[in-house]
Amino acid sequence: MSTMFALLMAVVAVVSALGVVLSRNPIHSALFLILNLLTVAAIFAGLDAHFLAVTQIIVYAGAIMVLFLFVIMLLNLKVEEPKRRGRIYAFLSWVGGISFAVVIAKVFRGASEGFGAAVAARPAAEPVEGTVAAIGKILFTEFAFTFEVASFLLIAAIVGAVMLAKRRYRTTEFRSSEGA
Amino acid sequence: MTPISYYLVLSATLFSIGAVGVVVRRSAIVVFMCIELMLNAVNVAFVAFSRMHGNLTGQMAVVFVMVVAAAEAAVGLAIIISGFRALRSVETSAAVELRR
Repeated sequence: MSTMFALLMAVVAVVSALGVVLSRNPIHSALFLILNLLTVAAIFAGLDAHFLAVTQIIVYAGAIMVLFLFVIMLLNLKVEEPKRRGRIYAFLSWVGGISFAVVIAKVFRGASEGFGAAVAARPAAEPVEGTVAAIGKILFTEFAFTFEVASFLLIAAIVGAVMLAKRRYRTTEFRSSEGA
Repeated sequence: MTPISYYLVLSATLFSIGAVGVVVRRSAIVVFMCIELMLNAVNVAFVAFSRMHGNLTGQMAVVFVMVVAAAEAAVGLAIIISGFRALRSVETSAAVELRR
């Protein structure tokens, strides 16, 4: 049952990821990406990472995707016109991407089997649940410094985003309009 | 219990789809979405390994990846907006000022 659910979610995730890449309209890409993020949240929940599943929905599917949709609608992007780069370029990209996937999957499988043997040889690695209490405990003890660095990074990103997106007034225009 | 290797294959697939999207698409905003896709694929691998080892450190890494993704989305979209003001386009092929 659990495996069936995980496989179903994996299929939906892959199809929606392909939808992000293949759909011509940026709005459709964004909506496919929201679906993908929600299925990944379900996969997290299936892996006992409850806190991350909720955070994924709130932060990713909520905040970040609203930012994306906001910018798409603000810029009033139209449907992307058919590509000029030619068919060979896209074909080679897909061939490269598929072979990349095969290589990473092989390496991951080998790694997980090797680690899996090592983990099985160890006495008892009891499964942990990523509850809010467990995550909060480790976040504010072992990773307290990293947490503070993350807050600094977010402040820097906010200030940087405002400075970049701000409309720039020329000081000379300001002076002349004041004088007039 | 689903084998961990299934999750790792899913992670590799999603990452590769995102990488192909970065190469194939021309709209900068869709390129950004594909980068988010790749970050998410890595998160799946982190959580799967965390589950396999019975250790929460992998989930902490996912929390910090989410922080970095939020910061990156905010700054990146600001760059896209200011680029749109300058070039009247969000296509990656429009930014050729330094190539001339």
